[in-house]
Amino acid sequence: MGLSSAATGDGVQLCVFDLQRGQQEGQELDKILYFYPADCPILLQLSVIGLCEGIVTFTRIFSPEEDCEVIESEKHSHVFYQAETDIWMVLVVEKNKENELTWRCGALQGILKEAHSLFAMFHGPIRTLLHKQPSAELARGHLRTFLTDYLSDFNVGKKLQFPTYRDSLKERGTVQMLTVSREVALDVQSLATVLGSCLGNVTCQSLVLFEDLLVSTTLPPDDTLNLYTYAVLRLTPRALYSNASSWSYLRKGTSVSAGQTSSSSNGTTAGERPLLREKLSKGKDGFVAADFTATEARCAVPSTPILWFQQADECMHLCIYQHKSLTILLLVPASSVINGEEGITHVKKAMLENASQKIVTVEQKLTRGWGGENAYHVSGYRYLLVDPERRVSRASPPGKVTTLAKDSLLALNMLRQEVDLEKSRYKRGDPCHDKDFEVCIRTKNNAWVIAKISQGRELYMALEKGGETLLYASTAVEKFSNRYCEGAFSTD
Amino acid sequence: MLGNQIQGGLGTSGALSHAYVQHPPLRCDIPDTQGLFYDDANKFLIAPTADRILYWKTILPTPSGPPNSDPVNEGPVLSVRYSLDHKVIGIQRSRHEIEFRNRETGETCSKKCRADSETVLGFFWTDCPTCDVILVKTSGLDLLAYEPQPHAFHLVESKKFNVSWYLYTHESRLILLASGMQCTMFTGYQFSAGGIVKIPKFEMMMSKSEANNKPVLAADDVYIVTVYGRIYCLQLDRVSMSLNLYRFYRDAVVQQCTLPTYSSRIAVSAVDNIIMVHQIDAKVVMLYDVSLDSYAPVSAPLPLLLRGLPINSRQVSQTADSQSSAYGGTIYGEGWNFLIPDLICDAENGLLWKLHLDLAAIAASSSDAPSILEFLQRRKSDPSMVKTLCLAIVRTIILERRSVPTVAKAMDVVLDSYTRLMKMGGAFPGVRRIHEQNQQSGSQPIDGSHVVSQESSPGTTVSPAVNPDHGSEAVDIYVQSNPGVEHTIDRGLLNINISSDSVDNTSDAVDKRQQAVGEASRPLSSGTMTQHGQHAGTVAISPIEMFQSVFTLVEDEMMGDPAYLIAVIIEFLRSVSKAGLKAPHNLYVMTATLLARSNRYAEIALFVSNKILEPCKELAMQLMELGLQHPPTRKLGMDMLRERGLHHDYVTAMLQDGYYLEALRYARKYKVITVQPALFLEKALAKNSAHNLAAVLSFFCEFTPSFKATSDFVRYRHILSEMV
Repeated sequence: MGLSSAATGDGVQLCVFDLQRGQQEGQELDKILYFYPADCPILLQLSVIGLCEGIVTFTRIFSPEEDCEVIESEKHSHVFYQAETDIWMVLVVEKNKENELTWRCGALQGILKEAHSLFAMFHGPIRTLLHKQPSAELARGHLRTFLTDYLSDFNVGKKLQFPTYRDSLKERGTVQMLTVSREVALDVQSLATVLGSCLGNVTCQSLVLFEDLLVSTTLPPDDTLNLYTYAVLRLTPRALYSNASSWSYLRKGTSVSAGQTSSSSNGTTAGERPLLREKLSKGKDGFVAADFTATEARCAVPSTPILWFQQADECMHLCIYQHKSLTILLLVPASSVINGEEGITHVKKAMLENASQKIVTVEQKLTRGWGGENAYHVSGYRYLLVDPERRVSRASPPGKVTTLAKDSLLALNMLRQEVDLEKSRYKRGDPCHDKDFEVCIRTKNNAWVIAKISQGRELYMALEKGGETLLYASTAVEKFSNRYCEGAFSTD
Repeated sequence: MLGNQIQGGLGTSGALSHAYVQHPPLRCDIPDTQGLFYDDANKFLIAPTADRILYWKTILPTPSGPPNSDPVNEGPVLSVRYSLDHKVIGIQRSRHEIEFRNRETGETCSKKCRADSETVLGFFWTDCPTCDVILVKTSGLDLLAYEPQPHAFHLVESKKFNVSWYLYTHESRLILLASGMQCTMFTGYQFSAGGIVKIPKFEMMMSKSEANNKPVLAADDVYIVTVYGRIYCLQLDRVSMSLNLYRFYRDAVVQQCTLPTYSSRIAVSAVDNIIMVHQIDAKVVMLYDVSLDSYAPVSAPLPLLLRGLPINSRQVSQTADSQSSAYGGTIYGEGWNFLIPDLICDAENGLLWKLHLDLAAIAASSSDAPSILEFLQRRKSDPSMVKTLCLAIVRTIILERRSVPTVAKAMDVVLDSYTRLMKMGGAFPGVRRIHEQNQQSGSQPIDGSHVVSQESSPGTTVSPAVNPDHGSEAVDIYVQSNPGVEHTIDRGLLNINISSDSVDNTSDAVDKRQQAVGEASRPLSSGTMTQHGQHAGTVAISPIEMFQSVFTLVEDEMMGDPAYLIAVIIEFLRSVSKAGLKAPHNLYVMTATLLARSNRYAEIALFVSNKILEPCKELAMQLMELGLQHPPTRKLGMDMLRERGLHHDYVTAMLQDGYYLEALRYARKYKVITVQPALFLEKALAKNSAHNLAAVLSFFCEFTPSFKATSDFVRYRHILSEMV
């Protein structure tokens, strides 16, 4: 049993439970919607959930507005996330002596948040599923397959590996944008117009990605983020490539859980496993689709997933088209497609007819202007720039971040943890106003670790081999801000 | 629909036509004249009497006035041509003699040819550097130079060959000499200020009706047309009922196409670079625009209309008969002669008409907006009208919600044309107000009392066809010509330049020539004023004009569908950027507003970050305004203020949002002293924190030394002392 055997080793637990269910004694099992590892003894599951529920209830006495975020015990950290009203996701990670403080609560919470957002995009809110089928079979089935597929991304060897201090210059839950010249931006926008008109009267939405970077979107930020996240996980050329290459490994590693799915969940078709890597591939027509239907024997036409967009409050079909490095996600309002797959085929045809030329041109122009994976590297700096309001971030390329010393990264991780606390503390005090602040820390290994928050935007950086004075550090920030952030961090 | 809207002001009738002549015509029916002649080099309409030469300058603002006159010796007149400087009058007296008279001194001299072996076919003045007059004889060309003292001509060179008939237009500076059994062999020369260019010999195609019956090409059936600074020649093939179109290059004559004809009699005019082929029997006109080497007619064949008759002018459709009764002649009547490039002389009734294109009607006749815009942008005869039409077309296609690519293409056309025209040096000199003039003289009687019959002397009218005296077809000299776009004609020839719109490009023209161009070569319009106004003078539509006359006007009506308008604006911005132009800032403001109205705030942020909406103060202010409902958008506006270095506005905005400490820091950093300290103090006070108020007070005491002397200081220190 692939995952379960791993689970005993890494001590990671992830559970989803609903506090509105199973409130009668003896029905506690009803609360559990999902538990990882699946082969964890029921009694243990109940005890974990019982503890979590107890803490949630207890902390509400003191803080009715703000949810409990984390409890640190001697051996475990419990990270909480209330995904929907009374539906909680809890991630339990085991501590050991040396890796204390190696992760950041915010980063782990980000995983829960991301998992839930993606789940809701594909299956709708959990509460809706529960209402649809009060026995919760539907919700459990979806959660089981979806979260299992989702967690498979964190599989390293036989363990689940969650983000650590090494990822402190990354921000989950943000979009990375491609910087383009105005001329190209106008071309892209013109392409977006054409994409929007593929259905005739009703406007389609679209996302355009180049490599793993977002070029344009017509969706609101949250929906953009969810779809972007999905695209980078599974759809971009790099993701598709790794889908194919990791196929055999996945067969070995997670085929068991997949097997569980098909046997145990009635009504769950393979079409509802959007995160299943091995099924996605790019067809001859340039469209990326899951070819699961071959096994389902439904029909030869691959079905197009219907996604629910929370911010736009609309269900839309997702068509994925890929031309070289360019990935286009076309969203067709489900209410406007009358005859299902046939209608979608029609839209795809219209898209190819109207937009092909523009797609080729845009791809060429973007490729010409593309600086490669180190395009956003700034020499001497290892940085992370986050605009939480727009859900956009930019960071030093991962390859460059790995050159930092462990001490620098640990210090940065700690600093970020502090900043997270400070931010939430301030937010509680005055939710409408941003608070500017700046922290520069000299680390053990004589590096500078800096956090600067200005007008709601966040800049984190690590400078090794720099000067000794604080002046050096602040000048470095100022220079960086003026050159790469249009002065956003040099207002005082 | 479109057409009618625009035509309204011109008092047009609703009759379908794409070309018209405007009432009233120039009246040239003076009793006792011996026919009418046309001097195409000077654009004089000439009516000789027994001892005088009467002439109208058809390019003058008042062509309807009384004619000028010059005394001359008595005698027969076969043709009259004034020298290009108007100092000498040349009169062909017979088939062997031409008389030259100095207008100032009255001296005369004459050139004769050998009566036995050759006849004079005609003559013309030239601005060629080596000679002044070209004498065309059956035995070849004589190039004569004029010497004012002692008023004499001497032979510079003579070129010998047999000539059956010839064709010359001053506007092309090109002479075609026909020879051969069928008169289909042609020799050509161009006598221009740049020198003499010999065109390679070429033959025109004639279909055979039957074996052994070889038709002879008549001079009437060949037309030299100058459009877009290129020289074309149209040749009517009566057997196959078609028109062969040739184009002249320096080293070649190339047949371009064959156009159909629907009449055994045709005539050709060139109006505003459009070739008009009058199908006289069918009484319709066909229009061709050869600029892009397309030879399909611009529009369907439609009749020529007479416009602006005082009586019946409201009548929607006037038949040829009712028109004729009103002005006393017939459209395409027997007496009509087509003068190059765009005049019609009704010799029977002594009237001179000018041909016009009805651009509004042509525009209304096609739904292919991009190509009709291209067509209009190439027109020069009525820039303000063209501009109005183009803007109306763009507005209409937006309001009709034509597909975005179509609208994009249309805007591309407009902006491409703008860049091209701007590169060529901005405005065109040839601004004309065609209709003003005619309306001024609208009160002219139309009773026809002056219509003195010209039929009595048909042999001396401009009609080439009815001239039995002159043997062959030599009379053609009178008919052709119009200086027009001569310098570019040279370019076309010398450089074999196929470029289309270089009419006003004087780059390599000789100085002397430019002068000539400036005065004489402007295309003749109905004898009205020319202006040099920069703005009125060009058909070019700037991005600002597009904004003012298209986007602001359609905005209200597009409220129901802002997405479409936004898409159109994006395409417009794209065209503007492709053309290397700047978009008006207010357009950015409009775009942001439209996006905000459709709740597309995310796209505002995207457009601002990738500079589709370029940073400017107007936009920044609008973003702040829109941001009152959407804080991240307000932040975009603030960022833009900061990036643009608008420190005062930035500090003020921060203060408004309550960030008074941040504002203070910023003010200190960028030395912003224009924001009143009282504003900061008020904000600090509003927080009800003595701590902060004290901090702000002490900041200003340091930052502005004179602060301690102000009443603000006293006031707030007092408040502070009470708080503590």
